[in-house]
Amino acid sequence: MKNKVLLGLVAIVMVAVLVSCGKVPQTEIDATNAAIAAAQAAEANVYVPGEFTALQDKMNAINAAVEEQKGKMFKKYTTVKEDLASTLALANQVAANAGVKKDEVKKQAETALNDIKTVIAENVKLIPKLPRGKEGAAVIEAMKADVATVDATVAEAQSLFDKGSFMDALNKINAAKTKAGELNTEMKEVLTKARIKF
Amino acid sequence: MQNIWDYILNITAGTAFIILIIYFLIRLTPSPPVGEMEAARKTLSVAGKEKADIYSKKLYSEAKVLYDSAMINWRSENKKFIFSRNYDKVVKYAEKSLKKASEASDSSKSNTINLKTKAKLKIETLIDIDNDIKSLFTHYPLPAETRNRISKGEFLLREAEIAYKKGEYMLADRKITDSEYLLTSSYETAYSNLRSYFRSYPEWKRWIEKTIAESRDSTGYSIIVDKFSHKVFVYLNGTRKYVYSAELGKNWPGDKRIKGDKVTPEGMYKITKKFKSDSTKYYKALLLNYPNDEDTAKFMSDIARGRLPKSARIGDMIEIHGNGGKGADWTEGCIALTDREMDSIFRIVKVGTPVTIVGSMYDFKHIINQYLF
Repeated sequence: MKNKVLLGLVAIVMVAVLVSCGKVPQTEIDATNAAIAAAQAAEANVYVPGEFTALQDKMNAINAAVEEQKGKMFKKYTTVKEDLASTLALANQVAANAGVKKDEVKKQAETALNDIKTVIAENVKLIPKLPRGKEGAAVIEAMKADVATVDATVAEAQSLFDKGSFMDALNKINAAKTKAGELNTEMKEVLTKARIKF
Repeated sequence: MQNIWDYILNITAGTAFIILIIYFLIRLTPSPPVGEMEAARKTLSVAGKEKADIYSKKLYSEAKVLYDSAMINWRSENKKFIFSRNYDKVVKYAEKSLKKASEASDSSKSNTINLKTKAKLKIETLIDIDNDIKSLFTHYPLPAETRNRISKGEFLLREAEIAYKKGEYMLADRKITDSEYLLTSSYETAYSNLRSYFRSYPEWKRWIEKTIAESRDSTGYSIIVDKFSHKVFVYLNGTRKYVYSAELGKNWPGDKRIKGDKVTPEGMYKITKKFKSDSTKYYKALLLNYPNDEDTAKFMSDIARGRLPKSARIGDMIEIHGNGGKGADWTEGCIALTDREMDSIFRIVKVGTPVTIVGSMYDFKHIINQYLF
């Protein structure tokens, strides 16, 4: 009789142990979520959108896997833990990649801004050299309007750059760059035709 | 010996009992909606890759909200006692999310194609409008505001083209809409301005016919200045003999009204004086009898009717002169030719040679066909 009672107790303890053996890896989940948030803060969604989406998909799958285990009688988080570790590493990698890409775009935007500013400065110097009496000419009016538009766009791009929106700034500058170059060529052609040194 | 067998029996029975309990516990535990959730999540991911968050925003957001609701419910059910969990609601949300995500994916695909096609067509149309503007109005004075609007419109069109090439059709569409508004409205304003300028064509035509007839009748030279094409036509015996390129007053369209308005006048004039190089700062010059009687009468009438201030003065000293070839309209209202062309015209004309200045030799329809088609 004593043995049977003991056996019963052992059985209950075993079941209890088996049922509650898996514990949600909350620390790892929190760490991974924090790494994903850091990747987002590094603007991974802007500079490496594909990688960031893949990262989010991975985390969504982990969240589902956690709930799946929670719903089981015998929980096992080994795979989840492995996935969390690899996702954490991926999040850090994505954040680093975003940083590299951002720096790259920043440098591109900076170079493009400097280049366009040089062209604009030259354009500004060319305008007063245009032949006397030409101020009202339709062509010159159109050129002046274009110069003003390029100026305004570059100012907008500079403001975006200063705010850290390098990608938006670069897109703006690319549109302005060709126009500024065309204007420069156009003005030089007018001056050459009028035999004026520039 | 009997005790050993009893012990083995007890152990076996106990193990079987435990296995049985475990089996029933597993059987009685509601199975989590893993498959449904995975299907929903994968469909949502595919929709994301199809850029449904941009091109089918509403459906994609709905699908996401439904998936999030499924997750929340799943978590909530998992907090309950294991045997009292019910995942029906989770499954329902997951299935709904899958359906919406699938719809979002399809809709995003078709919206992307539509938007791409639409953007391409619109960009082509706007390029055509911009080319029309350039063809018709590059040398036509337009108000500074209109010029600025055209410039901004062209710029937005450029940005739209860049966005289109990068596959950002939604952004391209926004830029196109802004560009279209600026370019179309500017074109309409400029076009209507030009059309109203050509209302004087019947009168110009009469002057042209009269001038050519005069050349034919007198078997001498007559000059016609076509302001729109910036050309000076020289007729001999009623036949066109020479064509020169001209530069005009910076506000050349319309008829000259007052001194200093920088408009090249329109009317039938004659050469009253020839200035050689030593008598003019513009290489050589042919002075016209502007203002003629008609110009003076019109000016006086405008003053009398209050259309012009009493302090206004009528212009004078309108000439065909040299120093041209600058590639722009720069004179105070005169007609400038290159020095070489001035030499040529100076040799053949004399005092009294008719000079007729018109807006255009051709009617509006002809101009539009010539410049736009």
